[in-house]
Amino acid sequence: MQTLYTKLKQLFKLGELTEQRQDLAFITVAQEQLRPLLLHLRDREGFTHLVLLTAVDWMEEGQFQLTYLLNDRAGARDIGLRVMLPRDSATMDSIHDIWPTAATYQRELREMFGIGFPDSPGVNDEFILEGWNDIPPYRRDFDTLKYSEENYSHRPDRETTDPAQHMKQQLYPDEG
Amino acid sequence: MSIRDVLSPFTAWKYLFRDPVTITDPLNERPGAARYRGFHQNDVQACIGCGTCETICQNAAIDMVPVEEILTESGDSGLRPRIDYGRCCWCALCVDICMTGSLTMSNEYKWVESDPDAFRFIPGVDKKHWDDAELGYRRPEGHRLTPARRVEMHELEPETRIGSFAEIVDGYSVADGLLEAERCVACGLCVATCPTHMSIPDYIAAVRDGDYERGLALLYETNPFSEVCGRVCTHKCETACAVQHEGEPVAIRWLKRHITDQVPYERYREIVGDPAPATGKRVAIIGAGPAGLTTAYDLARKGHEVVVHEERENPGGMPRYGIPEYRLPYDMIDRDVDLIRSLGVKIHCNSRVGTDVTMDQLQQEYDAVLLSIGLHLGRSTRIPGSEHQQVTKAVDLLRAITDGEEIEAPRQVVVIGGGNVAMDIARSMARLQKQQHGEVNLTVTALEDFAHFLADPEEVKECGEEGIEILDARGPQGIMLDENENLIGLKTWHVVSIFDEQGRFAPSYDESDEQIHQGDMVIEAIGQMTDVSLLSEELTEKLEWNRGRLAVDVDGRTSESWLWAAGDCVKGPDVVHAVADGHRAANSIDSYLKEKTV
Repeated sequence: MQTLYTKLKQLFKLGELTEQRQDLAFITVAQEQLRPLLLHLRDREGFTHLVLLTAVDWMEEGQFQLTYLLNDRAGARDIGLRVMLPRDSATMDSIHDIWPTAATYQRELREMFGIGFPDSPGVNDEFILEGWNDIPPYRRDFDTLKYSEENYSHRPDRETTDPAQHMKQQLYPDEG
Repeated sequence: MSIRDVLSPFTAWKYLFRDPVTITDPLNERPGAARYRGFHQNDVQACIGCGTCETICQNAAIDMVPVEEILTESGDSGLRPRIDYGRCCWCALCVDICMTGSLTMSNEYKWVESDPDAFRFIPGVDKKHWDDAELGYRRPEGHRLTPARRVEMHELEPETRIGSFAEIVDGYSVADGLLEAERCVACGLCVATCPTHMSIPDYIAAVRDGDYERGLALLYETNPFSEVCGRVCTHKCETACAVQHEGEPVAIRWLKRHITDQVPYERYREIVGDPAPATGKRVAIIGAGPAGLTTAYDLARKGHEVVVHEERENPGGMPRYGIPEYRLPYDMIDRDVDLIRSLGVKIHCNSRVGTDVTMDQLQQEYDAVLLSIGLHLGRSTRIPGSEHQQVTKAVDLLRAITDGEEIEAPRQVVVIGGGNVAMDIARSMARLQKQQHGEVNLTVTALEDFAHFLADPEEVKECGEEGIEILDARGPQGIMLDENENLIGLKTWHVVSIFDEQGRFAPSYDESDEQIHQGDMVIEAIGQMTDVSLLSEELTEKLEWNRGRLAVDVDGRTSESWLWAAGDCVKGPDVVHAVADGHRAANSIDSYLKEKTV
C-alpha cells in the first residue's frame, strides 16, 4: 500500500495514509481531487469495484466525512478514500457516472444525513424513510429518544421505578 | 454447441458427496448467527438494577420494576429491567452499556403471540426458552462505553512526603475532574450506602456541567463536613458504585473534594444561605466534632440558638485530633467549622463539661442537650509491662502532635494495632523520626492477617512506600525491658485465630512462633472508648446503657427526654457516620422543640 501511496502522491495532492491492515488502507483527499483519483484507481490501478460509500457525522468539528471504499479484486486489497465536507449545506459531486451503484448510496446518504448529490439519478426519492418529517436521522443532533416518544405510543399501564428512590423507600424511608 | 457446454453440467457432480453448506430444513431450523442480536437474556443474580439500560434506551422500551425474589440492599436496587418488544429495535445499546455484563442477547428471534402485552417481559425473571442459549450478542471483550480505570490522582512522592506533614493528595485539575465525572452513569445506587445520603449523582453532574456552585450547594445540604469528607471519608459509597463491576469505582470522594477545591471559600456562606428566623429555643451541645457540629449546623439553620462546649483548644474533634495533617490539613477543618460558626453557632473551647459547667446547669439553661463526645480514651492491651512510661496510646500522641507539643521521636518504634489509627500514628511517628534522625525505623504489629486487614489498603500501601514495616497476624504478649527497666521491645506470638466459634473475641496463638520487635517505645492503637466522666454520678445512674455505651433510640435520644447522644460515642468511629448521626439527632431535637412550643 505504501508503494501505491508513493505513486499516487506524485500525481495527486493527498492527505495522510492510514494502514488499517496489510490489505486495507485509507487516504484523506480534498473534495476536488476525488473524481480524478477515483478514475485513476479504477482505470490504472485495478480498483474496479465500489464496495460502499458511507458517511460519518463529526458534529463537534462541523464536518461530514464521506468514505469511498474501493476493491482491487486481482490484487486482493481495498482502499478507502475519505473526503471531509463542511456540515452546513453539505453537497458532493455525484460519481454515478463512474459506478452506477453509487446512485443508490448517494440516495441513502441524502436521506439519512442530508448530504446533497446534485444530478445523481433519483437522489431525492424516498429510500427507506417513508413520509419522514424530521431532520435526517443519522445526523448526530437527531434526538432518537424524543422522536420515538413523539411518534410511537406506549402500552397502557407502563410504570418505571427510579433505583435511588426505590432504595430510599426500601432502606431508609424516614431519613433525609 | 461446444463440447464444453455439454460437459460442464457434469462437473457439478463432484459436489455430490461434500457436506452441504445450505440448511437442510430452512423452514423449521434457522438459528440466528452466533452474534445475532436476538431476544434478551439477563443474569438476574449478577444484575444490580442500576437502570443504565433504561437510561440509554433510545426507544424508551425499558422500565425498571421491583422483582419479588430480589432484595434491595447496598449496591443492588432490587429492580430489574422489563423490556417492551413493541418498542425495542434490538440495537443492543442496553447490552453495550450494562455495568455488570449481565444483560445479553440470545440468537433466538422467533416469537409468535396474539397478546401484545405478552411482549413486555423481564428477561431472566419471566422464564423463556432462550434463557440458556449460548449463542447471541455479548458485549465484545474490551468494548466499553465508559472507561474502566479512574483518572489517576497525583500525590507527593514517598521520599518528598516523609519529610513533612504536607498534604499528600493533590486533588484533581478541572480537566481530570471532568474526565472522572464522566465515568459516572448517574444510577444513584451509591446514595443509599452513603450514611448521610449525599446527592452523589447530582453533584457529579454539577462537575460535568462545570457548575461548581450548584455542586457545593448540594454538598452542604447533606454534609457540613464536605471539606473533611472530601479528603478522609471512608467512602463506602464507592463500594456500591455500578462502575466497579467491570472496572474501578468512580472516585466519588475525590470529586467531592474537587468541588470544594473549585469554589472560592468566600462564596460558601452565600451558597449555603441564611438561617431561618430565630425561634427562641436554645440547645447545648457537648463536643465540637462532626456529630455535634452537624447537629449545630442543622439546628442553627432552623433558627435555634446553639452553644457548643469543647474541652480542647480547638473545635473539630477527631478529624483534628486524630487524623494527621498530611491527610487532612487543619485549615480545611477550620473552613467547615467557620462556616458553621457563621450561622450563629457559638463554640466555647477549653470548656470541659463537668468541670467548667455541669450537666445540671445545661439541663436547666437549655431546651435540649446533645452529647457528642467521641472516643478519646485509648484502650490498653494490658499486656505485662504495658504500664511502662514508654508505652503510650496512639490517640494521646496524635493529640499532642496536633497541639504542637514537642515530641521526641524514639529511634525505633513499635506500634500495636492494624486499623487506620495504627497507620496514622505509625506514619506520623515516621515523619518525626525522619525529621529528627534522618531515617524511619518503625514496625507495626497487627492482630489480623493481611486477608482480613482493618486499615484501608491505600494506607497499607503508603506505609510500605514510607519505609514502615507492617507485620500481620502478630499478637502482643509482653513489653521487653532490660535490667535497668528501660523499654527495649515487644514480644509477639503468631496469631492462629482471632475469634472463637461463637464469634467472640478470643485470640489463640502459636507460642512456638515468637518474635521480639526491638524498639524504644511501644504505641498502643487498638481502639478507643468514651470518656464519660463528665456525667454526674446521679445522671449516670439514671441513664440506660448498652454494653458500656449510652443507649439511644434510632434518633439518638437517650432515656432522658432532654438528652441526645450522637457520633462516635454511640456509633463507633467514622466521620461520615457521625455526620449522619448528627442530622438524625438534629431532626429529633427539632421536632421535640416544636412540640414544646405547642
